[in-house]
Amino acid sequence: MKVAVVVQRYGTSINGGAELHARYIAERLARHGEVEVLTTCATDYVTWRNELPPGIEQVNGVSVRRFPVKHERDPRVFGRRQERVFAHRHSIGDELDWLDAEGPTAPALVDHITRHAGDYAFCLFFSYRYYHAFYGARAAADRAILVPTAERDATIGLSIFHPLFRSVRGVMYNSPEERTMIQAVSGNEAVAGVVVGVGSDVPNNPQPGRFRQKYNVRGPFAVYVGRIDENKGCKELFDFFEGYLQDPHGKLSLVLIGNSLLPIPQHPRIRHLGFLNDADKFDAMAAADLLFMPSYYESLSMVALEAWALGRPVLANGRCDVLKGQCIRSNAGLYYDNGQEFAETLKAIEQNRWLSGTLGRNGRQFFREHYDWPVIERKYLDMFERVRNAPAARAVEPLPGWLDRRRQDLPAAEEVLAKLPTGPVTGHRQPDGRRWA
Amino acid sequence: MPEFNVRSDSVNVEHIMEQIRARIREKRGVDYTEEQIRELAAVKLEKFLDPRGVRSDLLEQFRKAMPAYEPPALPNYSFESDTLFESHRGIIRFFRKLFHPLLKLFLFNPNPLIRALNIQAQLNTMYAEREAQRESSRRAMDQLYYELIHNLVLELTRTGIEVKNLKMRVESLSSRLEFNERRARALESAVVYKPAEEERPSRPPTPVAAASPQPAPPPPPSQTPAPQAPHPQGGSPPEGPGQRSRRRRRRRGRRGGGPVAGQFGAPGAAPQSAAGTTDGSPDARPEAPSAFAASDPALAPPTAPDAPEDDGPDDDGAPDTGGDEPHGQ
Repeated sequence: MKVAVVVQRYGTSINGGAELHARYIAERLARHGEVEVLTTCATDYVTWRNELPPGIEQVNGVSVRRFPVKHERDPRVFGRRQERVFAHRHSIGDELDWLDAEGPTAPALVDHITRHAGDYAFCLFFSYRYYHAFYGARAAADRAILVPTAERDATIGLSIFHPLFRSVRGVMYNSPEERTMIQAVSGNEAVAGVVVGVGSDVPNNPQPGRFRQKYNVRGPFAVYVGRIDENKGCKELFDFFEGYLQDPHGKLSLVLIGNSLLPIPQHPRIRHLGFLNDADKFDAMAAADLLFMPSYYESLSMVALEAWALGRPVLANGRCDVLKGQCIRSNAGLYYDNGQEFAETLKAIEQNRWLSGTLGRNGRQFFREHYDWPVIERKYLDMFERVRNAPAARAVEPLPGWLDRRRQDLPAAEEVLAKLPTGPVTGHRQPDGRRWA
Repeated sequence: MPEFNVRSDSVNVEHIMEQIRARIREKRGVDYTEEQIRELAAVKLEKFLDPRGVRSDLLEQFRKAMPAYEPPALPNYSFESDTLFESHRGIIRFFRKLFHPLLKLFLFNPNPLIRALNIQAQLNTMYAEREAQRESSRRAMDQLYYELIHNLVLELTRTGIEVKNLKMRVESLSSRLEFNERRARALESAVVYKPAEEERPSRPPTPVAAASPQPAPPPPPSQTPAPQAPHPQGGSPPEGPGQRSRRRRRRRGRRGGGPVAGQFGAPGAAPQSAAGTTDGSPDARPEAPSAFAASDPALAPPTAPDAPEDDGPDDDGAPDTGGDEPHGQ
């Protein structure tokens, strides 16, 4: 069995969520069969500039075939087209122009898939929103399995993607919320789908003491791991945590790990350590009392899963349906909607050690049941088996003709998004009796 | 009292969040979420206020002062080249045009006059349009100011309510503080004016020494100078500098303990370990009264009736309530 993993960027130094997800999956599936990664020469997701040579190379024992990007992204053009399709009535042609502006526009990659689709038993396409997934999945629809990594943003409201969700053979969702959203917008209930997510290589024996000594961290602390960015909810986190610091009973400090795009508040109890390697990161998480996850948009928080794997509770942003749903289903984290809830939930975890310990234990169990690598691998292999045994896929819906592409009859993507169901999937069991992941 | 009740072996996050939110509502007094408050501030006065129930003529005043804007009907300023010769009768128009060259030749040339009047007409039109535009924008600005004032009124009201709540909290805290101070003074006076052993009628040997399984070690000479040695029978030692603050620290460690009488070695008090020191100060004495000696949690016996608060997780699996600090502070 030969499987193609198609993703926008690929490499050990690329730490984007979907890209890391793709790499983990490729490396794990390589233990069960032949895996070839099809990707671009780009490393920067803003410009898609060709920085790596085209051709074949080996990355951690996986064969990687790179294709050049035809043109870089022009932020002004992309912004203008995005404004058009997200906020105004528009046409399919506008959406296709937006996709071309977003990139990574790699027609060579799509040509390769068109010509060699028969060489692969299955093609796994990561990130539905990009050029490679849209055109690639159309080129190999009879063997395409999509890993959408969809977040609750306006892109999901673009109509060009809805036939894509319906035409692939299988969909590997990251969360029940993602599945609900995609099914609501595209009506793809007939397509085989499973909530999978991704595992993580969490060490068995992290060294919290070593971390404290190395970085001179004393006392109890909460940790944030990830890009320190306003889009990730960090500004709000700083505001709320500064509010918490006014409470004389609160003893927690805040340790920030990751590259910062925001000014860090100057306070003796807020420390920014910058980007750390995996060992230090896991040691820090093991040393922490809890993990903050303030992001508004997540399709799956790997950091939260890692914290749970290490037995640490999570305090998440309740306005992110996925995070809230994960906290509820796992019973391993609390969530907040505003500053007062932040302070109270933080105080509860800090002061009630029994609660903190129980949340951590639940998190560890949740991770083992749903996100341990054998579970993830099994779900992928089961999906391959299921697709292999299922009847042939229906034909791909063709793109409309010249005239229809110019018909301005599509609603703004933000309007479509606003009509989609919201809220976490709180049932602890799926309709077939299995527990949610 | 814990922040919320979690007693079972498994937690339900939704239930905990309900409890936390209930507690926030209780603290806040008003059950408004941030979104609701923003929504209220954004609502226009017309929708928010019921004119029948609210004695506010702000809205009426505004409406009187600012009637709905209607652009005025402008006069016809147009003046073209043939306006001078216009007539509703075609024959007259024809003859006027016919004799126009004669007029120019023998009487006067009307063209400069026509040009000037045409320019004047254009200027009039332009100024009228500009004035209408200015009036329109002024009214739009007035509308904005009105909304701004309305929002300020709302914010001020909300702030007033918050100030009232905070005042009540301060009053509550003041009364608690006063109570604690009175309690502290009462305890201090109990120590200072406690009758010396020789003034009491008769008393059996100190139960501390009797109950202690191990004899109390003699104090190191360097740490317990003779003049400051405690009275072996519990008499009141002379107060040295800093002793009051040490007592306060000991009291803090002892909060939640048994009855005061028992802590001060009165007859019938529970025997306590005399092996601990209070705060590691050099003059902490092993022979100190038992209530002070038991304030170190690490050294307190597990069955002591006045076991001090413990920062670690409870051994019995019950949630750590954070001690017996006044609730909600």
